[in-house]
Amino acid sequence: VTGATMEELDSGPEGAFQKNPFELTVEDVYDISYVIGRDFLKITGGSESVSNPVPDLQFKVVRVLEMFETMVNKYNLTLEELKMERDNLKAEVERLITESPSWLNLGPDKMVIDLKDPNRPRFTVQELRAVLQERNQLKAQLLVAQEELQCYKSGILPQNEQTAAIETESITPSIKGGNEEKTMIKRLFSFKQEKQT
Amino acid sequence: AMMNGMLHLASPVNRDRIIFKFPKWYTPEACLQFKDHFHTQVRTACQERNARTVGLKISKVVVVGDLYVGKTCLINRFCKDIFDRDYKATIGVDFEIERFEIAGVPYNLQIWDTAGQEKFKCIASAYYRGAQVIITVFDLADIKTLEHTKQWLEDALKENEPGSSFIFLVGTKKDLLSHAECERTESDAIKIAMEMQAEYWSVSAKTGENVKEFFFRMAALAFEQSMLKELEKNDETIAKIGEGDLISIDKVSTENSDSRIPANISCC
Repeated sequence: VTGATMEELDSGPEGAFQKNPFELTVEDVYDISYVIGRDFLKITGGSESVSNPVPDLQFKVVRVLEMFETMVNKYNLTLEELKMERDNLKAEVERLITESPSWLNLGPDKMVIDLKDPNRPRFTVQELRAVLQERNQLKAQLLVAQEELQCYKSGILPQNEQTAAIETESITPSIKGGNEEKTMIKRLFSFKQEKQT
Repeated sequence: AMMNGMLHLASPVNRDRIIFKFPKWYTPEACLQFKDHFHTQVRTACQERNARTVGLKISKVVVVGDLYVGKTCLINRFCKDIFDRDYKATIGVDFEIERFEIAGVPYNLQIWDTAGQEKFKCIASAYYRGAQVIITVFDLADIKTLEHTKQWLEDALKENEPGSSFIFLVGTKKDLLSHAECERTESDAIKIAMEMQAEYWSVSAKTGENVKEFFFRMAALAFEQSMLKELEKNDETIAKIGEGDLISIDKVSTENSDSRIPANISCC
């Protein structure tokens, strides 16, 4: 960087004309402006100068126009390239949206499920709730049966005595009780109503 | 219809589920009550009841807390006297029925074990309703689980009448901590228990330390409360009959009679 600066200083403001237009800095443009302005002064009011300054100035103006031309060309080319790239990307996005709408239209709370995954989620909360309820009922029935068996084994209940039908429908999370004659399971699993008295 | 209750009363309660003396608290700093005997009224009622064999008493207990704190292990240690080292997440809810004989009266606890995993919360929370006892469980070795107990309790209380449930705060895995570590966590837990108006216990399902003591204490408190509630109910019925008598005898003074009957009884 320091080398470049030194070079610039060595060549003076005139050096800006020799530079690659793509490497021009704002300082260079000021230098060009200064040099051209100085040459104009020579033409208008410089009677003391010996040589004719016009051809030299002409050369400099042409050089500036050339630089401008190069830059405009390059700019247009870049703009064209960017436009083409933008159009290509647009087309690609549209293609992807139409090809897989379900995948791209997912909201923030949505989830993608791999249908080939054997461990994928499958069942609903309602289904799980129903299964649990059934499991609880069966467990309650089992407990009652075990107890009955215990009673028979220990001879507390005579073999011929009939046991009441066991209703297990009420082992649910929220039960509507209130029936006076409750089975044992009902007594075990629905006391919500009793609490309200 | 008689069969239902009778069946239960008929089969004898396991000998190590008989509670006669009122079980003691774990720490006086966070305990629900200090007395070391049953309410006299309850004791008398139990003696009468024993002979008459009236209805089966059941209380609902709900156990809540973060996943992997050891809710299922705690219940299994007490109900089945087993300890399974392998972790198996509870799916939704599970329950156990534990049969006691307290002060000579048969008494059952219906213990609901809920899943700690967030995804089951919508299912488990449906079982919070009507809990006479709420047990909030945390892992003594994982302080975060203690912080979460407040939220668990709040969720459980939402489904119950205010003031209707006994609350316990239980720290598990006591065996994993040194005595000093345990004391440090306990003092934090006791503070939270006091805020919750809960009774505090430190237990180990693995070694069984304090497990039986805790469940006995909880059963006795719940039993006594439901007995008192029932006695209150009976008193009200008797009072109503008394009121009726008053009217027939002295019609003039009924309006501003200084009877001990609360005004709100008539609305029942």
